[in-house]
Amino acid sequence: MALLTLLAVATIAIVRQRSLFGVVILAGIYSFLMASLLIALDAVDVAMTEASVGAGISTVLLLATLHLVKATEMRPIHANWVPLLVALVVGGILVWGTISLPPFGVADTAVHQHVAPYYLSRSIPETGVPNVVTSVLADYRGYDTLGETTVIFTAGIGVMLLLRGMRRRDDNDRGDAA
Amino acid sequence: MSLDLILRIGTKLILPFILMFALYVQFHGDYGPGGGFQAGVIAAGMVILIAITFGMSAAKRVAPQAVVERMVPLGVLVFAGTGVVGLLLGKNFLDYSVLGHDPVHAREWGILLVELGVLITVSGTMTALFYAFVERGR
Amino acid sequence: MPLAIDVLSWVLIVLGSFFTVVGGIGLVRMPDIYTRMHAASVTDTLGGGLLIFGMMLQAGFSLVTLKLLFILGLFFFFAPVVTHALAQAALHEDIEPELAEDRRGRAEAMD
Repeated sequence: MALLTLLAVATIAIVRQRSLFGVVILAGIYSFLMASLLIALDAVDVAMTEASVGAGISTVLLLATLHLVKATEMRPIHANWVPLLVALVVGGILVWGTISLPPFGVADTAVHQHVAPYYLSRSIPETGVPNVVTSVLADYRGYDTLGETTVIFTAGIGVMLLLRGMRRRDDNDRGDAA
Repeated sequence: MSLDLILRIGTKLILPFILMFALYVQFHGDYGPGGGFQAGVIAAGMVILIAITFGMSAAKRVAPQAVVERMVPLGVLVFAGTGVVGLLLGKNFLDYSVLGHDPVHAREWGILLVELGVLITVSGTMTALFYAFVERGR
Repeated sequence: MPLAIDVLSWVLIVLGSFFTVVGGIGLVRMPDIYTRMHAASVTDTLGGGLLIFGMMLQAGFSLVTLKLLFILGLFFFFAPVVTHALAQAALHEDIEPELAEDRRGRAEAMD
């Protein structure tokens, strides 16, 4: 509960913050809190990925981007009440939808009845890998992981193409000796 | 004695451990939390640390730009290639059970191969993105 | 005997959290970047070290304790190095530390 409150505080601080540098650091804090929340929910694989990508690489790459652009956000031209209303309505609908879900962690809910016992019982005999997350990710649902890898590949190629064409003329390596 | 001596020594001490930890996370993905994505990000973090402490030329000696840019599609190729091998040997796409003498072992090897592909692509992409951002700003 | 270890580990964990909280308060209340860095770094290193030590006592003799020992060593080694890097970056930006003479001069000018 305390983690969720901290998460909400971090999000509101991100929205209200004008300096982009502060926003980047707060985004790192948000990712770190999210990783802690995922550990509290017993999802360690996802927590590790979230911590390393969100609080590590994402912060570094965003700081490298800030190096290229201005460091303050533009003042919004008109007050944005309509987006706030839309966000509140959508959030309210989501909360109303999730209230009727079964309580967290109960073993005999409908969603845990068909696919999960199948994978849990057949992971070690069929693949020999004790970590069910890895066996589901890489073997039973390997096609989705192929899609994820292709997405990373496409994003990387896109960014590289965008940034390559505008490299400066004299790009011999002047390494910065601090 | 330059100003950042402490930083350079500290970085030199920790760098091999970062790489070893990345490989540990990669290969222990079968037994604990881990897998290709986390390991790729940690390996890219090592290269970024070299770039921050010793300069871009040192980082490019460790991970040359051409190699890194070739790594990005190579990982996807490894992954899809594993799938196609299954196709060529008579079964479905991404069916790993034909890769070895015994279906259980073959599936383990298939999982290792695809996680390797994910590692190559993720670390290559993160490092290439970092290089692209820093080169652009000079 | 196990009760003594339990109590000791809890004392260490509470002390560690206390030092970390003090570091956080110092981060907010200190006037200047260098003093803030000093407050955060010293208290965080001590607090973090005590926390990890307390967790080691909770875990007993197992693989987890060995891993925590390594994390402890890494933490003690690298928290000050990181602060050093931060201070170097601040010096590089030509941020002057606020000396006591300036504050006294400012306080006298305000009366």
